[in-house]
Amino acid sequence: MPVKTISYEELIPGYKFPPATYELSASLVSKYLKAVDSAGDGFVPPLAITACAIAAMTGSFSLPSGTIVIHASQELEFFKLVPIGATIECHTGVVQKITRSKMGMLILELEVLDESKEKVQSGRATIALPT
Amino acid sequence: MVKHVTQEKINLYAEASGDFNPIHIDESFAAKTPLGGTIAHGMLNLAYVSEMMTLAFGQSWLSEGKLRAKFKESARPGDTLTINGKISCIEKKDDVSYANCIFECCNQKGETIVTGETIVKLSSDKE
Repeated sequence: MPVKTISYEELIPGYKFPPATYELSASLVSKYLKAVDSAGDGFVPPLAITACAIAAMTGSFSLPSGTIVIHASQELEFFKLVPIGATIECHTGVVQKITRSKMGMLILELEVLDESKEKVQSGRATIALPT
Repeated sequence: MVKHVTQEKINLYAEASGDFNPIHIDESFAAKTPLGGTIAHGMLNLAYVSEMMTLAFGQSWLSEGKLRAKFKESARPGDTLTINGKISCIEKKDDVSYANCIFECCNQKGETIVTGETIVKLSSDKE
């Protein structure tokens, strides 16, 4: 799990989270497939990769105590098959931060590369933080 | 496709994804929030959509799919989710055909949990 290096209040558009590396081992994929109730197809499910990238982001900043985080929307594009056992590198950052009286919103971007530094997937996540 | 949401599966997803937000796994914490109880991770619900797309389009989805989703409501333990999708149109760009699909994931009350669109490559005239 990433080390929390920054607080939510300190996040600004353009901020890049520390890159995170994950080995998509057979046991990790197996655990994911069990959780999503799927038989799998011999490759790493692309949303398992997205889950790693999102964990890299949300695990990197701390929230005020008691804050809940709601995933509002998600955009994704996949670029290549990822074999089980591959290692990926997740690059993530803040695109936009919106603060309203009773709601904060973050638009986050993600890009995932494989060992060859080829793009595996990219996307954007919008998360809401009711205050 | 039909999936049943349980707290056990939510807990498993938290372990697999590393997302231990208490709104998903801490029933006493979640009960005190406006949501009134634990909810499934949005990405868990979206995983069901991706599985449906994989079953329909295979490796084409896994290697070249595009997705845009909105999380409308929360799925809760005990919910039965039905995931539906259909091709809305076929588009051709540079001799390659793409299927534009729309999808919806609803609970047993008919409430929409996730909705959105996908694009997947069908074939290339060059292949």
